[in-house]
Amino acid sequence: MFKTIKSNFATADVEVKRQDLYKVVIKYDRLSALIDFLYNNYTYKILNAITCTDWIEEGHFALTYLITTEDRSNTFMIQTLVGREDTKVESFSKKFKQAQIMERDLHEMYGIDFIGNDNLKELSLENWVHTPPLRREFDTLEFVNEHLTFREGREDNVDVKAETKRLRALKKAQKEADKKAKEAADASALKENEDGK
Amino acid sequence: MEEGFLLEQKTLEGDLNSETSHQSSVDFLMNWFRKRSIFVLAYGTGCGAIEMPPTFTSRYDAERLGIRGAATPRQADVIIVSGYCSYKTLRRIIRTYEQMSNPKYVLALGSCTVNGGMYWDSYNTIKKLEDYLPVDMYVNGCMPRPESILEGFIELQKEIGAGKASSWQKYEENHEFYRKNQEAVLGEKVEPSYEADWYLYEGGL
Amino acid sequence: MILLELLLMLLVAYGVGFLYYGLYRNITARFQRRFGPPLWQSFFDSIKFFLKEESTSHGWMFYLGPIIMMSGAITTLFFIPFFKETTNFSGLSSYGNLFVVLYLLVLGPLGNALGVGTGGNPFGAMGVTRGLSRLFALELPFYIAVIAIMSLSGSADISEIAAHQSTMYALAYPLLFIGALFSFIGMMGQSPFDVVGAPVEVYSGPASEFSGKFLALLMSQSAIYTFAKLVLMVNLFLGGAQGFLELLLKTFVLFLFVISFGSLYGRFKTPQSIDFLLKVPTTIAVIGLILATWS
Repeated sequence: MFKTIKSNFATADVEVKRQDLYKVVIKYDRLSALIDFLYNNYTYKILNAITCTDWIEEGHFALTYLITTEDRSNTFMIQTLVGREDTKVESFSKKFKQAQIMERDLHEMYGIDFIGNDNLKELSLENWVHTPPLRREFDTLEFVNEHLTFREGREDNVDVKAETKRLRALKKAQKEADKKAKEAADASALKENEDGK
Repeated sequence: MEEGFLLEQKTLEGDLNSETSHQSSVDFLMNWFRKRSIFVLAYGTGCGAIEMPPTFTSRYDAERLGIRGAATPRQADVIIVSGYCSYKTLRRIIRTYEQMSNPKYVLALGSCTVNGGMYWDSYNTIKKLEDYLPVDMYVNGCMPRPESILEGFIELQKEIGAGKASSWQKYEENHEFYRKNQEAVLGEKVEPSYEADWYLYEGGL
Repeated sequence: MILLELLLMLLVAYGVGFLYYGLYRNITARFQRRFGPPLWQSFFDSIKFFLKEESTSHGWMFYLGPIIMMSGAITTLFFIPFFKETTNFSGLSSYGNLFVVLYLLVLGPLGNALGVGTGGNPFGAMGVTRGLSRLFALELPFYIAVIAIMSLSGSADISEIAAHQSTMYALAYPLLFIGALFSFIGMMGQSPFDVVGAPVEVYSGPASEFSGKFLALLMSQSAIYTFAKLVLMVNLFLGGAQGFLELLLKTFVLFLFVISFGSLYGRFKTPQSIDFLLKVPTTIAVIGLILATWS
């Protein structure tokens, strides 16, 4: 199976991530064919999830289709890279019914257009007119500052991550100092003991 | 000597009755009935809704203080905004609040309603509830335990008994202010549309 | 004189009805291992609702609904004598017999249907549909039992029926009583036949659109109506009463049985409850009728 996939669809080897999880990176134009191949020749009949990762530095989205066998023993991760601007992707809602709502969600959050999906209305947002919120160029804090008002009293808040790091370092230093002091005390006690003998 | 549960009940009720106020006897009587009978709308808007079932059922039994659930907004006196409140929820809360009949009160639970809480930089959650609805009582915490909710209710009852809880009048008087704030985040169309589009399409939601 | 008596009857029914509602809430609270509200909580609730402002407007028919229900409850009460073998507290019962009462028992649900239908609330309409479809099944065993009782005592006058019982009909003809009791549980809106105002399912059913004063009217109505129905049942099956103490005792025992039954059982679906009422209690009542006329 791996050989066929490599020769026919993929550019790289099929990666065995886990005993029950395979991953392959392919070009977008072979995606439909690979899914058809797995669907028809093997028991990969369940579309688990469609996920999207925004690689803003490289300038592309990574779409990942998770396809599982009927007995749920094995999952195939098919990753494909698509452009970030005016993305148009073929819909799988005809083949897998559950793809309809996953694609609707991705359309709402990333602005990806799925051709062939008949209902791409907003799912959890309402009357949203700004950048799709999960695209990384969308700065939530900036948006909040622009549209909402904070209650006074949050200005002196500290960065939680930095603060925990600082406290941890302090604790560690304290612990080490304690340890050294204890070792020194032990050593002196031992010495005294020996002297006493 | 009473102890345990009965003692707790007595202290809670004693708290209620110790109210000294300077109102006419008719007002006093009206407010007394209002504070002794509070119907709470069974509407959970956020994660805090999970603390409400224990408050109203056998473990904490809010009914002993006259607090009980109401089925519809028409019958309710208090709406609890339990926790974070996204724009989409806010629309529904506003409609529900406007359907309730006067006098009505708002109880806000959790730090999310106070200052955004852990959703302080979220693009889809409001930060200060009092900008959009008049709040009678905040119960802070993330999440407040049923004990805190009961305490909030008792404070609210005290305010009602003293005739001080009048947020519904505030909402009517400053309606333009509230409506302006609501429109700022929700757009021109504040109220949600009646049509539910999710069942119109094949495959539903 | 008669006006004073009617007013007294109304006051007694109002007070005792709310007392029973308070007891009902306390007893169910104990069933659920709770402390329960104060005894007069239902009364406080109704007064609170009288003090609320009205914010809805659905036309005059909507508001007429609770008023028809209230008048239905009050007239039903007036046609039921409290005691047997005396004219005290007999109200208007000398002007109308059991047939009038049976007719008036339907007036409440009908007024409710008219009012709620114009409200436009889907849950209200659902509750009314459930109520009316259940009503037919509810009435059948009750009417069979009542017919048997009327033929046994040879009269349709309620106080005469009560006076005719040397031993209670409930003990002499238990099958008739059991058949009627099932309907009675349904009439009191208790589980397993509480499909009309089923909480969580249809919210509060017919009452879901009413607020403020009209809801208070509905609450007072149900308190009066509850007491009227209890007195009717006591008169028909439990041998009536001779004094207030006996009346309160008998109604309370009946009420306690009904609410205990209600808190022990879950709710039927609407078709299930109709099915059950048409099959089990009706059969029991028919057998009771045959046995009663046989002997």
